Amino acid sequence: MELQKFTYDNKITRLFMNATILWGIVGMLVGLTIALELVFPLMSGGISWLSFGRLRPLHTNAVIFAFVGNGLFTGIYYSAPRLLKTPMFSELLGKIHFWGWQLIIVAAALTLPFGFTVGKEYAELEWPIDIAIALIWVVFGINLIMTTVKRRTKHIYVAIWFYIATFVTVAVLHIVNSINIPVSLLKSYPIYAGVQDALVQWWYGHNAVAFFLTTPYLGMMYYFIPKAANRPVYSYKLSIIHFWALIFLYIWAGPHHLLYTALPDWAQALGVVFSVMLIAPSWGGMINGLLTLRGAWDKVRESPVLKMFVVAVTAYGMSTFEGPLLSLKSVNAISHFTDWTIAHVHIGALGWNGMMTFGMLYWLFPRIYKTQLFSTKLANIHFWLATTGMLFFAIPLYFAGFAQSLMWKEFTADGYLKYPNFIETVTQVIPMYGIRILGGTLYITGVIIMIFNLIKTANAGTFVATEDDEAPALESHASVIDKGHRTLEGKPLLFTLLALAAILIGGIIEFVPMFMVKSNIPTISSVKPYTPLELEGRDIYIREGCYNCHSQMIRPFRSEVERYGDYTKAGETVYDHPFQFGSKRTGPDLAREGVKTGPLYKPNSWHYNHFFSPQKLVAESIMPPFPWLIANELDYSKISKKISVMQTLGVPYPEGYANQAKDELLKQANEIAQGLRNEGIDVTDTKEVIALIAYIQRLGTDIHRTDGSSAFTNK
Amino acid sequence: MNTENNTSKSNTPEYEIDTLTNTRLIKDHEYDGIKELDNDLPPWWKWLFILTIVFAVVYLVRLFVFQSDDLIQNSEYKAEMANFKPKEAIPFEVILLTDEISLAAGKETWTKICSVCHLMDGGGLVGPNMTDKYWIHGNKVNDLFNTVTTGYPDKGMISYKEQLSPKQRLEVTSYILTKIQGTTPITPKAPQGDLYE
Repeated sequence: MELQKFTYDNKITRLFMNATILWGIVGMLVGLTIALELVFPLMSGGISWLSFGRLRPLHTNAVIFAFVGNGLFTGIYYSAPRLLKTPMFSELLGKIHFWGWQLIIVAAALTLPFGFTVGKEYAELEWPIDIAIALIWVVFGINLIMTTVKRRTKHIYVAIWFYIATFVTVAVLHIVNSINIPVSLLKSYPIYAGVQDALVQWWYGHNAVAFFLTTPYLGMMYYFIPKAANRPVYSYKLSIIHFWALIFLYIWAGPHHLLYTALPDWAQALGVVFSVMLIAPSWGGMINGLLTLRGAWDKVRESPVLKMFVVAVTAYGMSTFEGPLLSLKSVNAISHFTDWTIAHVHIGALGWNGMMTFGMLYWLFPRIYKTQLFSTKLANIHFWLATTGMLFFAIPLYFAGFAQSLMWKEFTADGYLKYPNFIETVTQVIPMYGIRILGGTLYITGVIIMIFNLIKTANAGTFVATEDDEAPALESHASVIDKGHRTLEGKPLLFTLLALAAILIGGIIEFVPMFMVKSNIPTISSVKPYTPLELEGRDIYIREGCYNCHSQMIRPFRSEVERYGDYTKAGETVYDHPFQFGSKRTGPDLAREGVKTGPLYKPNSWHYNHFFSPQKLVAESIMPPFPWLIANELDYSKISKKISVMQTLGVPYPEGYANQAKDELLKQANEIAQGLRNEGIDVTDTKEVIALIAYIQRLGTDIHRTDGSSAFTNK
Repeated sequence: MNTENNTSKSNTPEYEIDTLTNTRLIKDHEYDGIKELDNDLPPWWKWLFILTIVFAVVYLVRLFVFQSDDLIQNSEYKAEMANFKPKEAIPFEVILLTDEISLAAGKETWTKICSVCHLMDGGGLVGPNMTDKYWIHGNKVNDLFNTVTTGYPDKGMISYKEQLSPKQRLEVTSYILTKIQGTTPITPKAPQGDLYE
């Protein structure tokens, strides 16, 4: 057999590797900042771009797409060529991919803190950045798929299967969830509304976890664990079954983020059962990772790389057991909207993604710098800091979530809520937030030690820009005859198509009835579109990231109906582009905040004072002050355009309404401001806070409107 | 079992064995030095998978075919609400409480609920000043109790009938009249309503 010579490019691996480290520390420090803000709410000092609601999306996006994103590209650009015995298809595409992705991250960092957001979790980036993501992702996909086409091995290894699934699914998820109609360069509205938007969003959100944080890292696990331990993979059969089961089942599970919401029962049920069925396929990955180390446990004791991999895979096993558990409605009734979810995702992020990444970096650096790791001892210290940091992070939050949820649900013997004021349940968990900061600090300290260690390693060695290898050409394997799944492993393009088919089925079966069958969202005739001022206020609500701490979804439980008012109906959300159900209640639910006969109602002057200084009214409040809302003039120059975009999306404003929108807006603003002035508050009509108050006071009121009047004529 | 079958089908009977675990390696499976073992699916894993699939089928059949009440959230909600007795509507005598225990309980309610609008020292901000002698809805214990009970939602004062028991409402009313009235707040709000001497 004639051997062909070729080289692997380590330069691109190094670029992605350095980016992983850089964005990793940035993303984690932003996380630490917002964790501190929960304990010291005045910390943001009245600076808008430092407030929790603006920074929390930056944290999640940075950790997911910048840290883990660059991490998975590092793993793929290093392992895929070696597994396929060919260089990556195109160095140029690789460079475009790398720099394009970094520019996207910079664009995110320059928009999110300044309030440019779509308002959908982990899909906050505005439409021009969304388009850039789609393009760069396709560049990555072409580079990956063409590398499999140009391969010299007959078959593609399980790691490559996972990389392919990652590419096709993330492309589908991102594009479908990000279809927005622009109002301006940095403002757009999603085409979906309310419960439908929620279904699409959590199909995306859940599968971002599945196909961005999980499948590529499983692929990396299949490469780096056998390499680092120098052991064969435990079971090829298990690889096949768990791969296909995982990607097919995962895509259905999104509705488990919407249990007990206004999503129809059938969709919730699909979310429950597909989540439960995911335990075994997920654990298949864990088994294949851990049992690959059989016969090498002595090495695990000595190697920080393997130790990190073991903790990573164990954390993966824990969170994929916990996930299905949290998807049971009875458990979710307790866990949802609490810090339990935050603990759960951080077992995944700090444990699985973090530890896999660190292990990979400790393994890669000495190889591409052709030297020994500077200090195994420091790497071991990092391992212990990361492991204990993770526990100090998660355990207090489990406790906080559980304790707070029980307080929300507790009734006195007389049938009254034991803790009617939400703040009591908050002050109870603040000490836990304190311990979480300690955990995060330990974890970040470990990362800083790692950076020092890796820089020292790089300085001690010499960078190996390219590595030579040789292998016989693909054609030389032509005589090999395959059976069953092995045939498919020899046809990467067919494999890609089948993976695509597997991940499309679940989404289609859930979406089609949700969008086509009217009974899923029963119409409520008194529900009307927002007034122009309310719409502007809603955009401010989204801009400030209020949804990061406040839900707008009252679940059908006695405790929530008592606390917040009647539970939310699907028909009430039909004009919400985007939906704002939220996923966490750091503050109370706001779905019926505006209902005057409701338990939460506060007059306009209260809201005005509260936005200016929450602590003035609720001494122990952890909401940051929003002085800029009081100071800023409302920019209503785009209101006509906004109304027309809403009309395009099917919101039934009367014909020609866009032209009167400005007058209506000013009229309503004047009424609210006049009311405040009567209370002795010195305010002009067109401050941002006026619009936000208008929106807040509209929340949840439509089904209480009995006089049949339209929202357009002010009462 | 499967490995046996594979052996008989294969042309080359000789298998490489992983000596550390004494397990068969699959022939020709090698990627960048990574080999694969011919281990079967662990039986417990298989059963776990089958069990979850059975769970899923039973769950979906119960919902779609039998429409079980515990899987339909409106029915669940109705069942939950039917299970508890409505709040007491017993006649209640509204007379000023002066014992320290009641006033301490009243203070607790004041701190948790009322201070959010009337401020902790009663000086008023969004809600009126409770320290002065000016009252919008009367200064008798009955007047105040009724205000707390029914509220004046149009003015921003909500009804606390559903959130506070009659006892709690009376306690806080008494607390206001005995402990807040006549004190000097840090930033008193201008008087509202009529003067009651």
